[in-house]
Amino acid sequence: MDDDVQRAARKVRDVEQAVSEHVTRSGPITGRASSPDGAVTVVATPGGPPRQISVSPAALRMGPQGLAAEIMRIADKAQRTANTRLHQTLDRVVDPRELTALGVERGQDEDDFGWQR
Amino acid sequence: MAAVNEERLRATEQLQREIGVLTATAEHPNGLCMVTASPKGEIRALHLHPALLGQGAQAVGQVVTETVQLATNAAVQVSFNKMALALGDGMAIDVESIAGDSPFRSTWNPVVPPKDPAEQAPPERRQRPPRVEDPDEDAFFENPLWRR
Repeated sequence: MDDDVQRAARKVRDVEQAVSEHVTRSGPITGRASSPDGAVTVVATPGGPPRQISVSPAALRMGPQGLAAEIMRIADKAQRTANTRLHQTLDRVVDPRELTALGVERGQDEDDFGWQR
Repeated sequence: MAAVNEERLRATEQLQREIGVLTATAEHPNGLCMVTASPKGEIRALHLHPALLGQGAQAVGQVVTETVQLATNAAVQVSFNKMALALGDGMAIDVESIAGDSPFRSTWNPVVPPKDPAEQAPPERRQRPPRVEDPDEDAFFENPLWRR
């Protein structure tokens, strides 16, 4: 069991090293999504809580329930974008099946990533 | 032997299922926002107190961001605890050596606004970690936060 754990730890370290070298070149991997009217903007990370949630002054008029629903909708969209970007960025470094097994689903490629492969 | 392996496989699948649907709920120290989140940071429920909206757009964004972080950390900690109960503390400590410390080991309080906190917390509304039903007096649970 100890050997397995050490092997797993070594593999995680190797992947971390490869990923961190890659991310140093490419910048942090995040996903951004906004409401069409700009009420809510979320910058999400893959597999973690949102890095930033911004709300416009006009959005306060939606009321607590409407605003909460919009934040949830946009946060979900931003995280799916972040997960997809993680897959796109790492597909030469990590087996995509391993990312999916870790719970990072690759979504549909969307046009608003700002770059094409 | 085959039966043991099969049982172990079933237990692992059960654990994966439980962790897959696991969430935790956290309230912001100011009492104006409550979030239920998964360990992956997905927001499952969000409740905003009307008074929070009165504090302005920037405060809303900051408080919600902080509360999602609290709820996510709590969900990750619950996952660690479930794993420690199912697989033993040794395995949980091994996982920590690979994946990094569990949230309540690595941070005393994840919401530490560097300056200008969104709202000072009245002490009685401070976030508490979820109660552990069957506290285990050994290595993994030595953190005093888990002995309430």
